Parts: sequence; structure tokens; C-alpha cells
Amino acid sequence: MNAPFTGKDGESAFARLCDELRPDLFRFAFWLARDRQVAEDVVQESLLRAWRSRESLAETGAAKPWLLTIVRREHARLYERKRFETVPVDDLVGSESPELAAAEEQQTLDLRRAILELEDDYREPLVLQVLMGMTTDEIASQLGLTQAAVLTRLFRARQKLRKRLVAGVNEEGS
Amino acid sequence: MDCLEFRRLAGADPQHPEAAVLAHAAGCPRCAGYLRQTQELDRHILAALSVPVPSPHAGRATGAAAPVPGLDRRRWYALAASIVAGVLVGSLLWIGGPRNSLAQDVLAHMDHEPEAFVVTTTPADDAVLGRVLERGGIRLRPEVGTVSYANSCRFRGRTVPHLVVQTDGGPVTVMVLRHERPDATVRFADHGFAGTIVPAGPGSIAVIGGSGADLEQITERVLAAVDWELD
Repeated sequence: MNAPFTGKDGESAFARLCDELRPDLFRFAFWLARDRQVAEDVVQESLLRAWRSRESLAETGAAKPWLLTIVRREHARLYERKRFETVPVDDLVGSESPELAAAEEQQTLDLRRAILELEDDYREPLVLQVLMGMTTDEIASQLGLTQAAVLTRLFRARQKLRKRLVAGVNEEGS
Repeated sequence: MDCLEFRRLAGADPQHPEAAVLAHAAGCPRCAGYLRQTQELDRHILAALSVPVPSPHAGRATGAAAPVPGLDRRRWYALAASIVAGVLVGSLLWIGGPRNSLAQDVLAHMDHEPEAFVVTTTPADDAVLGRVLERGGIRLRPEVGTVSYANSCRFRGRTVPHLVVQTDGGPVTVMVLRHERPDATVRFADHGFAGTIVPAGPGSIAVIGGSGADLEQITERVLAAVDWELD
């Protein structure tokens, strides 16, 4: 079995890989937790776990889905340990470091708000597909769903966002 | 592949359409527009999902969150307009006239109501349905069947009830057009959809379904179920 992350060279290679994938892992964790600080905690803990298990990773190409799975499990573990209070979406957007967000397009923030409002079942496969570039087959495997169920959730996620946009237009026209 | 199936597949994975989806789009300008629109939506989704990533060497931000601006409808309008622009252009080319026919306008409206394509057994919220019917000046008898979607839509400058009724032949869109009165029943078909606009009450009712829907029977059922309130 090829074990690319053993020995000193493997350690360096794994550290570089983690640096490279960290933005994706943080974003994935953010959209799971909908909280920047929780996302940072989840990623930090996930990378520690990944580091300890790095030698079990057989190939570099499998690293990203492997790390995403660890992030997902770590988030679930953290969620089990700590029951988060329900937070209004306005606060969620506000907690997202406004000094950074201010540099972005306002319309992007508006759509981000709509995505924050999506149910987890719709938001997670959308994040995996659009942000992580996973195929519907890979998403099905990651989430333990059938491919048909993933397709339905993705279709409905976009429908909900589109509906939200159209509702904005209709409200404007009313 | 019909238009309904196309939209389900294109709406689930617009960036990697399979060969059958592309083949359908090549022969169907409306669906090709839908695909472009959904791909454009995805570009906006990607931008929104790409939240700023904190530097691994930076400390935690500890400042209190700044006030969140409320939703500015004009911004929604700008974003939505940019997304639907491709479809609107496509529709105008397809219509090719200075003023759309009522049937064409009804079909174009459906492009903006993706709920019209959802097969479900879940009924619309009673309170929402009640408000839509009240705003549209109608009552609806339960014999019409499961109404899975209800919205008060802007259509030709008026607010009209837009309903989706689930039938054995798939979801059917019903638009109650109090202010549109054709001289006679209009029947039309376009890219997998079939529709009829029937004079009723002070105006008309449009019923549009997929190729599997028994439009005549459904239209009769809808006409019998709608009671018009006086202006």
C-alpha cells in the first residue's frame, strides 16, 4: 500500500497539504456550524486528529474527502458536547467578522444570508457541490444518502434560493 | 427527456450537465435559458459560500459584532435581475413580438416559479394559501385536490394567485387572472408544457401542466372549485 505521509518527508508533505486545504476546511466548517469561532475550533481539532492518523491515508488524492469527513465528524462531536443556542440569522451574519465582509459585494452578503437560512439538509450538499467541487456520487457517499436523494436536495436548495430572490423582486414590485 | 425532467436534473447539477440534458437544451430555447440562469445562480452561490478565511497566525477577533444592515430589496432586485437576465433575453427572442400574448406571458412567468415543477404530497401552508386566495378575491373548494404551492405573484402589473395543484399526471400550475379576459378559450403547447386559458368569472383561469397531465379534466375541476368574490 502506498503511504505518502510516513516519515519526515511525509510529515512535511502532510503539513503542506493541510495548509493548502485549510481554507476549504474552514469554509466547510463555517457552513456546518454557521459560526466563525466554532468553525475555527472544529478545523483546529480536525487537523490535530488528521495529523495523528495521517499514516492511514493511502493516497494524496483521497486527502480532501478524508479531511472533510473528519471535519464533519468533529463538528457533530462538538455539537453533541455543546448544545448551541438558536441564533437569529441576523446575528449569524453579524458574527461573520463584518470588517472583512465589508470589502465584499453587498449582493454576495444578501445571498449568504439566504444560504444561512437554508435547512442543514439542503445547505450541506450544496456546499459540498458548489464550494468543494464534489460530484453528486461523492456527496451521496459522504452524507450516506442515495444519489437520487442528493439530486433532490440540490435541486430544492437552488429552488429555495431562487425563490428567495424572486420574492425579493416581487416585494420590490408590490 | 421532457422539460420537467430536464429542470430537475439541470437544477441539481447545472455545472456538469449530462449528455441528455445538453441534447435537450440544444433543442429547447426555454430550457437552455433555464440552464444558463441556473449556472449564473451557481456563480453567485460560489461567491457567497467563499467566506473570508482567518489567517492561521491571526488571533481571534474579539470585537463586538457590528450592526447588521437590513435586507435592502433593491439589492435583491439587482441580484435577481442579473440572474434572470439571460432567461428574459431568451424569452424575448423566442416571443419575437412587441407585446407578448397572454399564453406567452403565462409561460414566461413559470420560469420564475420553480415550485411549479415540484412533485410533492405536502400541501401548502393553510395560512399562506388563505392569504393568497383572499388577496386574489377568490375562494377555493377542497375538491380541487392538493395545493402544494401558493403565491401572490406580480403578473402584467397585477397581483394574481399562482397555485400548484398536484395531480396524477404531475404538478399543474393554476393562475387566476381576474383582469385578463380572452374572448374564447386559448389552448397552447410549448416544449413539453400544455396549457389552457379559460374565460371564467370576471377574468380567466390559466392551467398549465406537463405532457402527462389530463389538462381538460383538471381544468374542469379547477373551474368548478373556484368561487369568485365580487370586486
